[in-house]
Amino acid sequence: MKFVCLNCETFMLFQKVEKPGEGALGVEFLCPTCKARFSMVTNPGETQMVQALGVKIGGRTTAPEAFELTRDTLKDGAECPVPAFSAAAGRAPAEAPSSGDATGGSCPFSSMVASMGASQGAEGQERLAASGRESGPALRPASSDSSAGLEWSAEALDRLAKIPDFVRPTVRAEVEAYARKSGESFVTQAMIDHYKGTTAELAWTPEASKRLENIPFFIRPMAKKEIERMAREQGRAEVTADMMDHAKTAFAKFMGG
Amino acid sequence: MAPSNDLKTILSKLQFPDDAQVMRQIVDQTLQVKMRMGRIKRKIVVMSGKGGVGKSMTTVNLALAFARRGQTVGVLDVDLNGPCVPKMLGMSGRRFEITPDGAAPPVGPLGILVASMDFFLRGHDPVRWKGSMELSPVWLGMLEMNVIREFLADIAWGELDLLLADLPPGAAADKPPAIANFLPELDGAVVVTTPSEVTTDVVRKSVLYARDVGIPVIGLIENMSGYHCPQCGHESDLFVGNVESVAADLDVPLLGKIPFDRELSQRCDGGRPMLESAQPIAKRFDDVAQRIVDCLNFRQIVADTL
Repeated sequence: MKFVCLNCETFMLFQKVEKPGEGALGVEFLCPTCKARFSMVTNPGETQMVQALGVKIGGRTTAPEAFELTRDTLKDGAECPVPAFSAAAGRAPAEAPSSGDATGGSCPFSSMVASMGASQGAEGQERLAASGRESGPALRPASSDSSAGLEWSAEALDRLAKIPDFVRPTVRAEVEAYARKSGESFVTQAMIDHYKGTTAELAWTPEASKRLENIPFFIRPMAKKEIERMAREQGRAEVTADMMDHAKTAFAKFMGG
Repeated sequence: MAPSNDLKTILSKLQFPDDAQVMRQIVDQTLQVKMRMGRIKRKIVVMSGKGGVGKSMTTVNLALAFARRGQTVGVLDVDLNGPCVPKMLGMSGRRFEITPDGAAPPVGPLGILVASMDFFLRGHDPVRWKGSMELSPVWLGMLEMNVIREFLADIAWGELDLLLADLPPGAAADKPPAIANFLPELDGAVVVTTPSEVTTDVVRKSVLYARDVGIPVIGLIENMSGYHCPQCGHESDLFVGNVESVAADLDVPLLGKIPFDRELSQRCDGGRPMLESAQPIAKRFDDVAQRIVDCLNFRQIVADTL
């Protein structure tokens, strides 16, 4: 949340935080141009919500202490001895709050929304418009990996919906991983086809199968999967002894051997 | 003076400062977590979608098994509302020591460092938060996430070989993604199940969910897998299940099966953990610990044995 002086066309400056009553919070703002002042007041519930963020509005005035949120928020008080000291070594340094700059004041909610929400939506729409490859709404995947930011075409989503529930999340994750690896941010039908081509059943020669048996049984499936992935990357349709040699070298190299 | 422009025009001219320093504080908090976690070689969560399957018991005994291997181990009890790791390790009533370097975790058996909400509570008191937290699940969730963040940021673990985090039941809700976000270098999750179709159905969901949110699944442990008779030592099925096929379906390794053992149960209840590998049940946990190590180092094993 942030306040704008419409007359002066500027952000209001954050001034100070007050506690006008039990559980209430008052955050005072000032227009740097016309000097108008006002205070935003929260009720106890809203105050608790701000506290639950674990931040101090206006910045820290004292060095952080271990478990200060937990200890301050436990209703019956924390059973925890706290010796008297002020500085918390080994922690991120705290700085005294500034009283705002020439461009105005601020509050936690607005900063977070501005930083996390609005721009992502706009970027997503731009990506969708730029792609122009398939129609339909672009949807964000269920994955919480916000860095992925993958969109799905309506047609691709339809195809995904035909996959049984049980395996759908795994397939979606794999397709998205494949898309990211291919440098794509938009999942289309063509990409699903391409991904399918990479997951076709691979044949194993008897010699390669025998060598696979040397690996302890409980990590054998993981090893098999990795070796098949390597084989597919090389465009092979069969895992051979030669491929096993290649995999052995690759694994040893990965481990720094 | 009447405003000449609409809000959109005004905002387009202004730069958005963070003079309330909220983003700055959140960045500092994240850096603090990274700094603490950066001193820990391996980080593993123990989870299950189902409650009552023995996550805490598994965590405690795995910690002991790793400690027996000579590793420095920390246990983080993330179950804020039902912490039981301290009781199982005989550490009830202990407290954090708040120091300038952070909160020093109490040291338990075999040198295991333990962090738990229990260390803030009196006796059997439940966790009660101030204000309206108890009325709003949304706010409560937000607070609990920040309390977990404090557990990760403020505990002075020092150098550890392994940190085991015991996640709360119903873990397919909000905690795993939060933990995963807090621990970007999380090595993976050990998922605990029992021989029951109801349990394995839920466990399947949590494995898929963990993958969805980017948590690598190290493997499954089947707890209550049979009954170990204290008289004759014979082991027989307690329930009917097929964890092998569940592991195969999910394409995850089966790390081991832990039978129901009355002595283990009594020792956990009494805070007298099995410190040595003499008992067969402790040996089982040693074997599981070895498999976890093998799974984490599987590339090396493949390179050696292929």
